[in-house]
Amino acid sequence: MSASQVETLQHTNSHSPPRRLTDGQFALLLLLPGGALLLGVVLYPLVAALVTAFFEQSLVVPGRTFVGLANIVDVLTVDFPRLLWQTLVFTVGTTIFPFVIGFALALALNTRIRGAKVLRGLMLIPWLVPGVVVSFLWMWIFNANYGVLNALLETLGLIDGPVAWLAQPGTAMTAVVVAKTWQSFPWMMVMLLAGLQTVPRELHEAAEMDGAGTVRRFFSITLPQVKGIVGLVLLLELIWNFQHFDIIYVLTGGGPAGATQTFATAVYETAFHGFDLGHAGALGLLWMVLLMGLVVVYIRFSEKGEGK
Amino acid sequence: MSALTPTRTPVPRPQATPDSPAPVRKARRGALRSERRGVRIAAWAAVVVCGGFALLPVYWLLATALTPREQVFAYPPRLFPAAPTLDAFAALAGNEQLFVYLRNSLLVSVLTAVLSVLVSAYMGYSFSKFRYRGRRSLMYFVLASQMFPQALLLVTLYSLFSAYGLLNTYTALVLSFTTFTLPLCVWMLKGFFDTIPDELIEAARVDGASRLRIIHAIVLPLSAPGLIAAGLFAFVRGWNDFIFALTLAGPEKQTLPPGLVNTFVGEASTAWPELMAASLVVSLPVAIAFIALQKYLVGGLTAGAVKG
Repeated sequence: MSASQVETLQHTNSHSPPRRLTDGQFALLLLLPGGALLLGVVLYPLVAALVTAFFEQSLVVPGRTFVGLANIVDVLTVDFPRLLWQTLVFTVGTTIFPFVIGFALALALNTRIRGAKVLRGLMLIPWLVPGVVVSFLWMWIFNANYGVLNALLETLGLIDGPVAWLAQPGTAMTAVVVAKTWQSFPWMMVMLLAGLQTVPRELHEAAEMDGAGTVRRFFSITLPQVKGIVGLVLLLELIWNFQHFDIIYVLTGGGPAGATQTFATAVYETAFHGFDLGHAGALGLLWMVLLMGLVVVYIRFSEKGEGK
Repeated sequence: MSALTPTRTPVPRPQATPDSPAPVRKARRGALRSERRGVRIAAWAAVVVCGGFALLPVYWLLATALTPREQVFAYPPRLFPAAPTLDAFAALAGNEQLFVYLRNSLLVSVLTAVLSVLVSAYMGYSFSKFRYRGRRSLMYFVLASQMFPQALLLVTLYSLFSAYGLLNTYTALVLSFTTFTLPLCVWMLKGFFDTIPDELIEAARVDGASRLRIIHAIVLPLSAPGLIAAGLFAFVRGWNDFIFALTLAGPEKQTLPPGLVNTFVGEASTAWPELMAASLVVSLPVAIAFIALQKYLVGGLTAGAVKG
């Protein structure tokens, strides 16, 4: 097929025009449309948003005044430690729990149990459904008056009366983490299963012959072999969760009493409910600094992986 | 305590008797067989526990969607709806505003996919087949650009689109969606183009085909599966977006995810069966797309790309 295509090309292009562009120039030209888009809708807005950190600026009133570091000082002195802590709790919780569940499932499915393929497909459902659907579903499950979770726990005798999971500061964060865990673990499972399947079976067989037990083989063979993919999924998941918005916003809106507020919901609320772009920008600036730390680690990690 | 120590020492470690290999080997085999049974039990235990966590909520989504409205506010809830009904779906079909959201979702997601694939194809080809200074840095900037927090980008994007009169337009949604679809498509397509042998391109060049013609007549047709996969991924991510459509568009231009939140959440008494039915409907296109994408799933995932 390719040969015939080349022939037609030869035919139609027998008088090819003189090449005016060098290869390098041509390569840059190809980058232009995408580059312009990224510049316009990503880089410029990002830089501009960070710059608003130094201005007093409203979403609804035009004009702005330079205020130096005042916004950043405000943000750091009001509630910052709590916001940072809650963001970390959410980020780490929604990374660790899906990882444990995803890894357990990946290991289980990798033992070639019957129906592994079908199970893998079914387990993907939570990850396939849109984020708002995850929120709706868990909002219903956690519902204080008619929720199925309360009914189950009451039947089991674990709680005495209905619990308003999403409306109490003490339980709201846990509830949000559970919902996000439900959404994330299938992705972890797929990635880790793909990693596990690259481990040569002969390694396990040889080690088995030499008398290495299951646990020993897991730590000496499996784990070193999937180290790379484990690092990758953990890093990516940390980066995504550090800025996750949808599920928190729909489930609790950052409440009750700010108990599930993270950087993402706080920046959004400051900008679009408080109309205060300056303080949103200041929060965003601090957020970006922390996030970039993670992204740099991720890029180093990917480059190293590519070099192999 | 000391009485226990002597009884422990006589149990020989298999390695401790190198001069009698045969019986040891036998003992090891026996141990391994029971171990395998242990592994199988552990695998099934993991599947049952994690599978329950994954699939029971899915069951509850289906069951609630089929529950008659008056039964849904019974406590404790019935685990199996007594008289399953499609009333909730019928109620959805009678809601005209939902069809507006549906049309918007389809239109915006398709346009996003087309624009992303078009622009990313050139960019990905440039990254794949040309070598120039700054190429790697640019590639990693593109990869990192999807990790910038959307809530922060919105702080400026909102004012930017507002200044150009683009608020509440499809253009604003399509452009903002490309912030997360473009990096994904560029990296996926670069991967596909990498597999096209340079010799093929060289041959066409020797035959006099222009560089642009090589892309359009050889590279793109050969990468058709990749273009479709990237387009489907972009479609799905556009379909699932919540925050951009929530902020940049009003009810006439909004897509389904924020549309459903506005329709159902925050009402005095939420119509749970309808909300669950709507959740099923909004998940359907995503499920179909992913069945089509099965083959590319892991490849697309490892591009550091797909996240719900």
